Amino acid sequence: MEITFTINNEKRTLEVSPHQRLLDIIRKDLGLTAAKEGCGKGECGACTVLFNGEPVASCLVLAPQAEGAEILTVEGLLSREGELHPLQQAFLDAGAVQCGFCIPGSIMTGYRLIQDNPEPEREEIRQALAGNICRCTGYQKIVDAVQLAARRMQSGGDSS
Amino acid sequence: MKNSQRNVSCRPEASGSDFKAEQENVQELGQKVPVGSADYLAPKSLKKALEYRSRYGYKAVVIAGGTDIMVDYFERLSEVTSWLDLTKIQELKEIKFGPEEIRLGSMVTHRKLATDSRIRENLPLLAESASEVGAWQIQSRGTLGGNIVTSSPAGDTLAPLLAYQARFVLGSVSGQREVAAEDFFTGPKENIMTQEELLTEVVIPAPRKRTLSRWQKVGKRKAMIISSLTMALLLELDDKDEITAARAAYGAVAPTPIRAGELEDYLTGRKLREVSAGKAGELAVQEISPITDIRGTVAYRRQVTRDITEQALLDLQQE
Repeated sequence: MEITFTINNEKRTLEVSPHQRLLDIIRKDLGLTAAKEGCGKGECGACTVLFNGEPVASCLVLAPQAEGAEILTVEGLLSREGELHPLQQAFLDAGAVQCGFCIPGSIMTGYRLIQDNPEPEREEIRQALAGNICRCTGYQKIVDAVQLAARRMQSGGDSS
Repeated sequence: MKNSQRNVSCRPEASGSDFKAEQENVQELGQKVPVGSADYLAPKSLKKALEYRSRYGYKAVVIAGGTDIMVDYFERLSEVTSWLDLTKIQELKEIKFGPEEIRLGSMVTHRKLATDSRIRENLPLLAESASEVGAWQIQSRGTLGGNIVTSSPAGDTLAPLLAYQARFVLGSVSGQREVAAEDFFTGPKENIMTQEELLTEVVIPAPRKRTLSRWQKVGKRKAMIISSLTMALLLELDDKDEITAARAAYGAVAPTPIRAGELEDYLTGRKLREVSAGKAGELAVQEISPITDIRGTVAYRRQVTRDITEQALLDLQQE
């Protein structure tokens, strides 16, 4: 069956089967490999993407459910010139990346949080990112990174 | 060789569009099957959904937010021959506030319940319980109706729905019926719905002015955890602080979410500050029938039921 949706501001039409998951078509059909499959059961958050503006576990969304949806992955955060998004830069600067597996998911949830709450408290970041598990347990620096990004985005530049 | 092929095919959903069985499937159905085909039914109206439900019954797996069903079918999604997807039906996503009752469409998400200011104000037990379902990713997709129809005794919104005396509207092509939340659940993951029916709405009587309530979820972590125990306690007071109605509901301590009638009887008619919180805790324990499982032992569940009931009443007495 054929579905049409928008991913990272690009309209795509794909042939999918009813038993594929959104995560599968993002990674395999579209080759966007930022979103990861961790548990496959919606518990780890590594496959988090924004789906119509909200963070979802893309392993729990059936591919055909994406018909007409707007999807955003980490690949879509880059500027047109290919520069990193302030959130990505902050994750690097804060040393929040260890093995890196959970980071694309954490960034998408953090990105969504900052939209709602441009100056999140540490506790609010923890709450928002509760569904993004980091097996390296580098949570402090992930929280640091989201806060740093929020501060930089507030001041409108890259000056920390 | 044959064996290894079989191993590969255990995750066909992950193998992209070059999977063999899938190609056969596509050929059978014609090359370009639109959304809404026999394999994947995504009606835009409730009427159409009920027609499909009547025609296909259990043969089409109903999917709402997918946060339970996708886990149930993990690694065997290809076994599902037909899906009935409810996510495109706008009329099931509405919330209506009337003077007498609040009507929630079955496809309202947990996130909506947790963040909508009117829900937080009028139905705090429901808003708070929804805010503790999984985490943001789950709340964005998971629906109130899905939580109800899955009918897990540990479903987080279920004790609040019992405490609010919710009624569930079950639709089918031949009409609809309304059942009390208490009469809906018949066992772990079992309920009274037939294969012709869909849960369309949840109707909750508008709470009275002086209503106090307490929600408590106990689990091994603060997020992304199936509850070991839930409690929704609701008291209606008159202007002399006398309890005119009490409803105490618990989840994950019996085969279905339950009301603790004896506790409610004890509370009703007493002044709030004269209630013995300890006695209330004891009564609550007498009414539960927990089991030992990976989320807690019988002894643990009994002790914690007592503790959280007692603490909730002590807290309410301070308000």
